[in-house]
Amino acid sequence: MAAGRFSIKIMVAVAALVAGFAILFGVGLKGSMVYYLTVGEFLDREGREDLGENFRVNGNVVEGSIGRTPGELGAVFLMTDGSRQLKVHFGKETPDTFVDGSEVVVEGAMRDDGKFEAHTLLAKCPSKYESSAQGQKALKNAVEKGAPRDATPAR
Amino acid sequence: MAEFGTLCLLLGLATAGWAVVASFNGWLGRSGSLVLSGERAVIATWGLVALAVGSLEYLIFTDRFDIEYVASYSNRALPSTYKVSALWAGQAGSILFWLFVLCSYAAIVVAMNRRRNRPLMPVVVTTLSVIAVFFLLLVNFMARPFVSLSQVPIDGLGMNPQLQNPFMAIHPPALYTGYVGLTIPFAFAIAALSTGQLSDTWFRTTRRFTILSWFVLATGILLGGWWAYVELGWGGYWAWDPVENASLIPWLTATAFLHSVMIEERKKMLRVWNMSLIIMTFLLSILGTFITRSGVISSVHSFTRSDIGPMFAGFLGVSVIISVGLLIYRLPLLQSEHRLDSFVSRESSFLFNNLLLVGAAFAVLWGTIFPIISEAVRGVKITVGPPFFNEIMVPITFGLLTLSAICPIIAWRRATPHKLLDKIRIPLGTGILAAAVLFAAGMRDVYALVAFSLCIFVVATTVMEFFWGTRARMKATGEPALGALWSLVDRNKRRYGGFIVHVGVMLIIVGITGSSAFKQEATAVLARGESFALGRFALRFEDVVSHDNPNLEFLGARLAVLDGGRRVATLEPGQNFYKAGQDPSSEIAIRSTLREDLYLIMSGFDPQAGKVTLKGYLNPLVAWIWIGGGVLILGSWFAMLPDLRDRRREAEARLRAAESYATS
Repeated sequence: MAAGRFSIKIMVAVAALVAGFAILFGVGLKGSMVYYLTVGEFLDREGREDLGENFRVNGNVVEGSIGRTPGELGAVFLMTDGSRQLKVHFGKETPDTFVDGSEVVVEGAMRDDGKFEAHTLLAKCPSKYESSAQGQKALKNAVEKGAPRDATPAR
Repeated sequence: MAEFGTLCLLLGLATAGWAVVASFNGWLGRSGSLVLSGERAVIATWGLVALAVGSLEYLIFTDRFDIEYVASYSNRALPSTYKVSALWAGQAGSILFWLFVLCSYAAIVVAMNRRRNRPLMPVVVTTLSVIAVFFLLLVNFMARPFVSLSQVPIDGLGMNPQLQNPFMAIHPPALYTGYVGLTIPFAFAIAALSTGQLSDTWFRTTRRFTILSWFVLATGILLGGWWAYVELGWGGYWAWDPVENASLIPWLTATAFLHSVMIEERKKMLRVWNMSLIIMTFLLSILGTFITRSGVISSVHSFTRSDIGPMFAGFLGVSVIISVGLLIYRLPLLQSEHRLDSFVSRESSFLFNNLLLVGAAFAVLWGTIFPIISEAVRGVKITVGPPFFNEIMVPITFGLLTLSAICPIIAWRRATPHKLLDKIRIPLGTGILAAAVLFAAGMRDVYALVAFSLCIFVVATTVMEFFWGTRARMKATGEPALGALWSLVDRNKRRYGGFIVHVGVMLIIVGITGSSAFKQEATAVLARGESFALGRFALRFEDVVSHDNPNLEFLGARLAVLDGGRRVATLEPGQNFYKAGQDPSSEIAIRSTLREDLYLIMSGFDPQAGKVTLKGYLNPLVAWIWIGGGVLILGSWFAMLPDLRDRRREAEARLRAAESYATS
């Protein structure tokens, strides 16, 4: 039916284009696939060499664990999934949302000394959005404390 | 006021529900009065939703912190501009706002079609009202904006400081206006499929809605990029984040649709394809909302996990079944009247343009939902990073550029190689010349060379199109050059407006290429008086600066920007400390010129040592992205203006309507 409306030449060109897409897809996917794991899953990966070296790991920053060296970019911190912890080093400037307790996704590889060397760090501060536990807590604190510090009356 | 808002939303659900029932039964039973009642219900729904939006704004402006939404997203010190935008700062409010945009479109469609498109309208109203009912269910029962708190805080939590930015105030409404506007051609497509009136009416009558939504969506996407660029402080404007992708995917399919309806209009071909494209676009925009609003895919700026996910998934599923079912049912009526017979023709170049655009949309979609798919199939989440998107998008963009350079000069139906060569000579020569000049000037980046010369090829074709058209007119009518140019574009605004849009897109691609291929960066820790180098600039840290206002306190570093020893600017990157207690946010300093952006972030300040930590980027040609966006908007506006041909056609249609009225 379709052949009635399109000439063979066009069909061939379309097929070639689709095949090109498929190849592009395959190559692109192979080169940029990264396993996305929680801290626990990551620590359990021992001996699974089929997963590759590079990982994305998701967890929360352990309260009070962020250590910085003055005059140097980046930070060393602990990441947790609630039960287990992973020590992470990140050597670039950290985003504003990177604070105690914030949810982070790091991408990188394990070093020989047992630290995770991250080359990318994404952080989402949970208190920013509603219906998160932290947001509710913040709202409750605001109720209990009364006005947050330095609140000024409406103009 | 909160009770009033809640009541409005409940009543709105009732009127929208009635609009569905009345229109659908009116259509089945051919009852004019039921159809009319349905249309009135649409207007009523719009009024009620508008009142609900008004009540929420009133509550925000009067600092009613007993309402959870107000307490979560506003506070006393929030400037009034951002009190307006607090409406869409959170989940419930943004869904309410989405609903309001949808209802406004529906009301406009009803008002515009009181006499036109009568056979289609009942189904159009039914479709739009079903969507409205879905969103009304959400705001009434799932994401309720008017919930009150048992304990009343004295002040609200305030808005996320990163959202306190003019771009962020416009970006969501622009995206929504674009996204939601695409439901109008979709609703007419569904009406055409349901009624079997499959002539070109459904897309002709919604052409302006399509163009409007398309360019407003483009504007929204660009504003989002601009916001990320000036606010997020990582030196870039696009990160292939799921939320960004969610807005790009329907835009790509809408772009394909805009192009391929022209083929259907002229040649009555690709009819099934066009129906599929607009259905796909609608479904993808709902999917986009689902991705943004449900937290199903982790993203840096998505809302956290919430319970509206399953509702969206259900709605999406039902929409797929109904629209695909209708399309299959009508397949026999959608046969093409012509056949695509030449490989080298305008028609086939449009076909390939469509395949590339849809391929791009599919690639972005695939990369975005890959974590979900891999988790479902293999039990492990696998993400694909920006390299995947870049690897796929670069060749596709090159293909699209080549097509947009050649397409306008290929003849319809069958192009003769001789004529094509004759026309392509100058633009292609210009492109090759440009590549040679850039190479001689020392540019060795292959991708950038190809991208720049293709862009120049496209612009040259476009300029030549204006030139040839004007020359032909001058010969035919003897008009002077400017007069001929004006009457040329005045007669076919869509064609020439479209060309202007192409030029805008070229500028955007030039900006993207320049800033990704030739980006430079440097970091430094400086004491007062020390400086660091970034490209040809030297940046000297002069002093610490600080100032404050009721909302925030600013602490920053003053830097002298030296270009070859001469002071060209002073930049003050720093950090804002908000008094409502949120975390500090970086305030980036940018010196933007047509040649490049100098982009500075102060990431730390050590008061004891008096040292600042700075990160700088030199992003060439970034400004052209925003300029290109402006050109794109201008071109789209121009394309939407009525043509001489349109005016004639409309006059004819009115005449015909009057005649048929007189004879019936």
